[in-house]
Amino acid sequence: MLAGRASTSPSPHEPHTPPFKGGITYPDMLTNAIKIAWKVLLRHPFYTFITLFGISLTLTVLMVLTSFLDHLLAPHYPEHKRERMLYISRVALRDSARQSSRTGPVSFRFIDTYVKTLKTPEKVGLTTFFGFANSYVNGKRISLQTKFTDAIFWEVTDFEFLEGKPYNAQTIAQGHQVAVITDDLKRQYFEDETAPAVGKNIDVDNVRYRVIGVVRAAPVTRPTTAGDIYFPYTVPKSNYQSEGLSGSYVALILARTPADFGAIKAEFDGVVSRIPRPVLEGGNKYVVVETAASTYLESLLSNFFEAQATAIFFSVVGLFMLLFMALPAINLVNVNVSRIMERASEIGIRKAFGAPARTLVWQFVVENLFITFLGGAIALLLSGVIIWFINTSGWIARADLTINFAVFAFSVLVCVVFGLLSGVVPAFRMAKLPIAEALKSNG
Amino acid sequence: MLHLKNIEKVYRTSTIETLALNNINLAIKKGEFVSVMGPSGCGKSTLLNIMGLLDEPSEGSVELDGQPVASYRDRELARLRNQKIGFIFQSFHLIPDLSVLDNVEIPLLYRSQNGKPRSEYAREALEKVGLANRVKHFPRQLSGGQKQRVAIARAIVGNPELILADEPTGNLDSGMGNEIMNILETLNGGGATIVMVTHDEQMAKRTHRLIRLFDGTQVS
Amino acid sequence: MFKHLFRLMWNKKRSHVLLIVEILAAFLVLFGVTSLIIYNLRNYREPLGFNYENVWVLQFDSRNQPDSIASETMRLLKTRALAYPEVASVSLFSSNSPFSMSTSNGSMSRGKSTVQSNQFITDRDMVRALNVSVVEGRWFNASDEVPDARTLVIYQPMKTALFGDEKAVGQYLVFGDATKAENQKKYRVVGVVGNFKGGGEYQKNEPGVFQIPPRNHWLRTLLLKVKPGTDANFEARLTRDFGAITKDWNLDVSYLEKQRRNAHNLTLVPVIIFLIVSGFLLINVALGLFGVLNLSIARRRSEIGVRRAMGATAGAITRQFVGEIWVLATFGLLIGLLFAVQFPLLNVFDLEAGVYLTAIGVSAVVIYAIVTLCALYPSRQAARVQPSVALHEE
Repeated sequence: MLAGRASTSPSPHEPHTPPFKGGITYPDMLTNAIKIAWKVLLRHPFYTFITLFGISLTLTVLMVLTSFLDHLLAPHYPEHKRERMLYISRVALRDSARQSSRTGPVSFRFIDTYVKTLKTPEKVGLTTFFGFANSYVNGKRISLQTKFTDAIFWEVTDFEFLEGKPYNAQTIAQGHQVAVITDDLKRQYFEDETAPAVGKNIDVDNVRYRVIGVVRAAPVTRPTTAGDIYFPYTVPKSNYQSEGLSGSYVALILARTPADFGAIKAEFDGVVSRIPRPVLEGGNKYVVVETAASTYLESLLSNFFEAQATAIFFSVVGLFMLLFMALPAINLVNVNVSRIMERASEIGIRKAFGAPARTLVWQFVVENLFITFLGGAIALLLSGVIIWFINTSGWIARADLTINFAVFAFSVLVCVVFGLLSGVVPAFRMAKLPIAEALKSNG
Repeated sequence: MLHLKNIEKVYRTSTIETLALNNINLAIKKGEFVSVMGPSGCGKSTLLNIMGLLDEPSEGSVELDGQPVASYRDRELARLRNQKIGFIFQSFHLIPDLSVLDNVEIPLLYRSQNGKPRSEYAREALEKVGLANRVKHFPRQLSGGQKQRVAIARAIVGNPELILADEPTGNLDSGMGNEIMNILETLNGGGATIVMVTHDEQMAKRTHRLIRLFDGTQVS
Repeated sequence: MFKHLFRLMWNKKRSHVLLIVEILAAFLVLFGVTSLIIYNLRNYREPLGFNYENVWVLQFDSRNQPDSIASETMRLLKTRALAYPEVASVSLFSSNSPFSMSTSNGSMSRGKSTVQSNQFITDRDMVRALNVSVVEGRWFNASDEVPDARTLVIYQPMKTALFGDEKAVGQYLVFGDATKAENQKKYRVVGVVGNFKGGGEYQKNEPGVFQIPPRNHWLRTLLLKVKPGTDANFEARLTRDFGAITKDWNLDVSYLEKQRRNAHNLTLVPVIIFLIVSGFLLINVALGLFGVLNLSIARRRSEIGVRRAMGATAGAITRQFVGEIWVLATFGLLIGLLFAVQFPLLNVFDLEAGVYLTAIGVSAVVIYAIVTLCALYPSRQAARVQPSVALHEE
């Protein structure tokens, strides 16, 4: 009778002393299983390489994708408060026959009249969405993305001011021609990074402005806040006095807590329903006014889809990721099965000694998880490199992709799912193998 | 036609050395029907492997038709096996996903073929074992005796001079085993040299010569 | 030997369905992307027909000013532009200027034949601004600018489509379908130029015509050919001066070179995406192959031993396993061919059959190559199985 630990790491060609429950603890079994897994991997370096390659490639792509999604959707610079924010970025006007429609951002007047007057939010700021202008200096042309904002814009966002400060309500009221520029623009326009830019003049589209602040630039993938130069809305060309409901502005609503979202949406819907119809705009009469305060994701999706699409979005993304993982996993199943088949005689002996199917399945699942996590570690390294590359290559200007905790935790989850996917099937097949057949297929 | 001189075969693992065959000297003449007997693990299959050029002895020499094969490379050994030797195994070793006809054709795939198509040769071989009506069947549709007959047809389809049979009746009941022995005797009558490993004294009695092995050594 | 392998693999087709499906999918995507690449390459070889270097594009938005005032403003701008020493030539153009992503087309006919044609409206100076050469006849001159002149200049593909080898100058074309009663105003061809691929090098060489602007039609785009070395300082001065003339209008300055690159990206991005997808599929084919082969060889050790005993050399075993994979690939490709061959037969997307047939060939070769590469190592492993070990009975 055997008692105490199984002290040798068995090679599959020699009979293996089965673990006897008497003195074995689960951590022992785990380390044992991992040691066996490691040896098995080293025995066929080529197939181990193939499996690792397939796993790490898939996981790398998934991790980079997750990092992208996180970059686009999670609260990052300069929108750290995004979880508390709602956005009003579109209004759709339709006529009674639904023949003609006019869709686009809202006007300054709309926000001033209907959004700033809401009682539930903590603050409401506004900005234009897209605007372009040119600046000529020292024989070169700089194409600028412009934004016209109010003072509260700076309070609902978290821009880091490297110099100076933003314009306030007073400056706006007095109509001063000032501007806040980014560090990138300061570098391009003034070329002297050591001297402060505050107080200097900058010409944009043949109008002169005085620089009163320099901020760290935001990535272009955050279009609500990204820009090269920010003006108060009272300066020329901002179109803030245009009539009508549609225009080029976006409202940023800061709630006290996310729990207030429902109340804010309801209040806004109520206000919108009281807008007198028909609405005359651009020479047409419109009776239907469709607009809503939405979370960032909702408003992003509404650019592409008509209906509320958040749930659909996540399920599509989830499905895609599952499929993307499943295909390599299925392909690698056969590699796993053949790896396990080699050790069929070991299985036979174990089963002859009464090892229950569960123990065997556990062994193989551990082995598979082991190689999956190994692949995951490689994937983590690779995705780190790729992300660094994306950030420094300038392909997305001022990108700040990271592998933060959320991405990492998700990746671990993905590894577990992947490992189970590609390991459970072969493990069960092997565990069910009749004993005699296993014993006979001597390696 | 087959000479084994001072054959020794040692199996080595990282810790153990096993002497499977020790000082075997055999001469088998053309047209002989020889049986080899001995308890399990005494080296019978190893001997057959060496005779069939499937394995190399650790010491000693093998001569086939007067030619020493020690210096032959894989390609020449394969050619010899293809043209001069036919194998019959205890577990038949038919390929399950091929029809009977395709299975029997296999040795002909590895030689350059002129003249009649392979399927004709295969059909002739199957006629000799009495299975001409089952050419399209698959191994899983055949009984044990039928499968072994297919294996025999496969072994003779290329007209080999030497037939090596490893326990050909081991998986069959006595009735079918008898039939198989009849076929082998007929083949031997037609001029084939046969070396048969067997457990069965009755079968061994029907052969010309009996070689007994014990622990890797000839004892008779 | 191949017949033998075909039968072997056909009998085992059920267990290899996944691999066959993967090869099929990879082939189809490869076919798509190769067709796209070949199409683009073929188009690229046709010359552009005009010169885009040092040409600035100014697009104006009159913000609902009446047409008569807008026309006059554009004329003033053109005169003002010509006054600069830095400007070599100036031409007015319709909004579908080269690389502008906007198109304007309609059908044109001569007698019974009709073609779809790009329609550009421009002025006398376009040939100098864009360096276009006249092949037959002449470009527009003052005589074409009188109202009701109704003259046209066509370009090469249009001539080939409607006139073949005949002389085009002096003949008449009609906008729209000639058989319809309302389309009876005839336009006289006064000249033929070479190609004019307004969509960029990757655009297909399609037929088109040029016209002088009809009455009350004003052109929104100004093309400025500047002298080499003109920099942004001049651009600043130009926009300032123009701003003074146009007052409230919106002006957008761009360069043909930059717009050309954008047009290229539009073509290249789908190609890159498809290439990535096919890369992913091919990697999966490779992974699947390794798995299937590894398993297959592990399970068929006795078969390998039997074949070796029957006289197969190690090389023959390798060739057998590679050959089996070829047979599987052929199964997948044959199914894929059923789909792919519809494209040249049905003339999908109006592409020439040659493009599709070449794409089929290239994709098949790629698939076979990848499949062979992946099958080599495992097949060699199979060949190394010692016959005696495989047949070890005890």
